[in-house]
Amino acid sequence: MFSALFKRFTSQKPSKMAAKKRLQFSLIYDKLEVNDTTLTDLQNDIVAVISKYFEIDKDALELKVKRDDNVSALVFNTPILQVKRKKAS
Amino acid sequence: MEGKVIVVTSGKGGVGKTTATSSIGAALALEGKRVAIVDMDIGLRNLDVVMGLENRIVFNIVDVVLGKCKISQAAIRDRRIDNLFLIPASQSDNKDVLSPAGVERVANELRKEFDYVIMDSPAGIERGFQNAIVGANEAIVICTPDVSSVRDADRVIGILYSRSLTPKLVVNRIEPARVERGEMLSYEDVLEVLSIELLGLVPMDEHVLISSNTGTPLVLQNESKAGHAFRRIAKRLNGEADLPIEIPTHKSSMWKKISKTFGFK
Repeated sequence: MFSALFKRFTSQKPSKMAAKKRLQFSLIYDKLEVNDTTLTDLQNDIVAVISKYFEIDKDALELKVKRDDNVSALVFNTPILQVKRKKAS
Repeated sequence: MEGKVIVVTSGKGGVGKTTATSSIGAALALEGKRVAIVDMDIGLRNLDVVMGLENRIVFNIVDVVLGKCKISQAAIRDRRIDNLFLIPASQSDNKDVLSPAGVERVANELRKEFDYVIMDSPAGIERGFQNAIVGANEAIVICTPDVSSVRDADRVIGILYSRSLTPKLVVNRIEPARVERGEMLSYEDVLEVLSIELLGLVPMDEHVLISSNTGTPLVLQNESKAGHAFRRIAKRLNGEADLPIEIPTHKSSMWKKISKTFGFK
């Protein structure tokens, strides 16, 4: 009772509030974590698709997961060397 | 009719998985169902001692999966509770001796002989856990109101969803006085974080250690609050879905009631 009163007047937040907030943040970040194998596989697939239309510099490209406070984005950056001409089928 | 295979899991160790498995299994047997509890923690068996059946082990689940014995030879009958059986883990093997296909086959055989097959999963999310969930139709996730347990539970829930299992949650070791003081996550907090269906709330209870000391079923101890909670969980699993979930409380004094009324908490 008195400790509750004390806490109320010193506006000390109960520790469970901290626990809940920290949990909510860490669970969001846990889910955004992508392992290296997935990222490499994804990169290979993207390169395969783009290579159908463009000649790209495979050594200069980069694939990253960018995290912001609210959103996270997949960023794929590649220099285009040449547009492939479609063969008449 | 075929029975149900229910896996009890948690991710983190030491949150009360074994106690929950043995208590829910025993309580389902008290409801008149034929129950097999299977210890899937190969190499680190514990259900046998907790249930007080350690002196009667002849065969184990590894023997069953490898075809060295029949299910009826490995299942130890509990003499205190009718229709309750334990299939112990092997203590000498490691988790790699079992193949998921073998476990799934045995799980399907068990379903034909029992109304409920309760699988006690090992901690972690590796091979042993994968084996424990492979034959399951339903899943129960156990967690305690602390950050590491809730985080691990979230991970396990994700894996279960990816296997088309929709788990239900049991929050274990709730200390109502600490929840009231704001020192412990409330069950509402845990549910909000995990967003999953609640199956039951189990208070912290000294009887749990005492009953494991002697190897007697917790659910047979009338004065045990945790035992009482597990019996309600079993009833809810066994068709009484409308049975209200009891929220653990502690006796609050007059002062606390007054202070609560005036919004000091």
